Amino acid sequence: MLQYVLRRILVAVPMLLGAMSIVFFAMRVLPGDPCVAMMGDQATTEALADCTKNLGLNRPLAVQYVDYLWRSVRFDFGSSFRQGYPVSEYIARMFPHTLVLVTASAIVAALVGIPIGIVSALKRRSPLIDYPLRIFALLGLSMPVFWLGILLLIVFSLRLDLFPLIGGGDLDGAIHMIRTGEVFTNPGDFLAAVGDVLHHLTLPAVALGFTLAATVSRLSRSAMLEVISQDYIRTARAKGQGERTVVYKHALRNMMVPLLTIIGLFVAIALTGTVLTETVFTRPGLGKMLVDAIGARDYPLAQGAITVFTMIIIAVNLGVDMLYAVVDPRVTYR
Amino acid sequence: MAIVQNATVPELTAAGALPEAPSRSLGRAVRRYGPIAIGAVLALAMIVMAAGAPLIAPLSPSAQFGDAVLKGPGAVERHALGTDEFGRDILSRIIWGARVSLQVGLASVIFGFALGVPLGIVAGVQGGWIETGVMRCADMLMAFPTLLLALIIVTALGGSLPNEILAIGVALTPNFVRLSRSLALTIREQDYIVAARALGSGQLRVMARHVFPNALYALVVVATLYIATAIRTEAGLSFLGLGIPPPTPSWGNILSEGRQYIKCCPWITTFSGLAIMLAVLAFNLVGDALRDLLDPRLRGE
Repeated sequence: MLQYVLRRILVAVPMLLGAMSIVFFAMRVLPGDPCVAMMGDQATTEALADCTKNLGLNRPLAVQYVDYLWRSVRFDFGSSFRQGYPVSEYIARMFPHTLVLVTASAIVAALVGIPIGIVSALKRRSPLIDYPLRIFALLGLSMPVFWLGILLLIVFSLRLDLFPLIGGGDLDGAIHMIRTGEVFTNPGDFLAAVGDVLHHLTLPAVALGFTLAATVSRLSRSAMLEVISQDYIRTARAKGQGERTVVYKHALRNMMVPLLTIIGLFVAIALTGTVLTETVFTRPGLGKMLVDAIGARDYPLAQGAITVFTMIIIAVNLGVDMLYAVVDPRVTYR
Repeated sequence: MAIVQNATVPELTAAGALPEAPSRSLGRAVRRYGPIAIGAVLALAMIVMAAGAPLIAPLSPSAQFGDAVLKGPGAVERHALGTDEFGRDILSRIIWGARVSLQVGLASVIFGFALGVPLGIVAGVQGGWIETGVMRCADMLMAFPTLLLALIIVTALGGSLPNEILAIGVALTPNFVRLSRSLALTIREQDYIVAARALGSGQLRVMARHVFPNALYALVVVATLYIATAIRTEAGLSFLGLGIPPPTPSWGNILSEGRQYIKCCPWITTFSGLAIMLAVLAFNLVGDALRDLLDPRLRGE
């Protein structure tokens, strides 16, 4: 087991390194000078040269590259060109917002997607049930999350005035209260902050969750179909067990194994989804930070954001591989 | 334009080559071929719209009508789907926008296919260090989700039609590498490959004449689904402002520009988004139906 874990981690390292190199070099061939983007066209040549020197952009590319890799290993992504804060601080501030969004939409996606997938698989011979469910899944899969988000905003924020148009709520405040222990001394304020966060979270989570639900429902449909065609299901039926027992005792439990492996895929899709969702709902988060950083030619910030995204995806996949081995004893570590 | 026309071939022949359904069971035929028919018609309509945009669009996509700024659908008879902040006709812009979406959708999939499939087949058949090398590179690219990788590339190169095609094409390539490798791994063990080898076929001939044709159907099915992914990715890039820059209309940038006006004029975002969804839906429907035909185990019958 330990050997397997070490081996997987060793494989992940060059992957991460490669991914980071792609990001670094892509950012360097960008059109547009970050100093010009910061200071405007009016800046004097001396001021620009000064700025380039301060940002370390006058060093040879190879030196910048090695420096970037070495710092990244220590989670030091440099300082944002624009704001001057360390990038890691920025990421730490944005991460909770994205985490909350991904978690909430994962809950929506699981609650909607898994039952739909199961029912659709079990009732696949009755078109009246299977068809509408499959159409629903197909619509969710085809609907861009940013469009669904805008439709929700038009109806629920602008027309009905039920939810806020922009922002992520007072998440920082809530986290601060947990840190300082104010949760216990002032529970009312804490609940208000949490309520505010949920209020801001509802529409984005529904939008992202719905588009993810489509993927989840399809994957759980095919996982269920896979399981239901196995010999042990036939055996259970042949024993004379009722359909309910067959589904609950034999099928569902085994379905969870193939479903587990898609968590990695799911996180990748959800993280990409946050880039678009956070932009539509003007929510703070890693995705919005990345888009803004690209727009502002803020290399370190964009690099840091993408590196963190990639790290999360590689780490999740690694974790899933190991979890898979734990859940399904038939999997051997090689 | 040539790109668009060429790329329609696989999907049309695949749809057209379906066997006739038995007439005794009309219901079953509708259930079985309904989705693919709807998808194929929708996809064809999108392609015709893109190819014939100059003939079909009622007005020029860039003409600004000062007397009809931000008018709703039908408010001015000339503009069936309303106008934007410059008084440009939304319907005409959406029809012209189909060009960008479909060109990027089809060309990037062809790019990914042409680059990924040979690499995957060589890796699968040849094995050894070639396989290790190719698959490591593919894994590395797979660590990025499609949109994220396309976003990095298009940011680096700048937003334009060829760059978007390149970015999305490269982002799709590892998927084709993986799939064609796994198909090649199965196919190379078949008896007919052994037979071909016994008859003196060289490695290259085995790959080109035996492995590739046998993998083709499955690859085309998946390619159809990736057209949907590519169209959605393109729309996402344009929405983020990284795609084709305005004033050239693309569905994503129409939607992105319309975002500022959702309070007064929701039709701009509504219709452009609807176009994206229908195009993605069309290719998803066709790809899904083809996949069900390919893998009868997953079919509900």
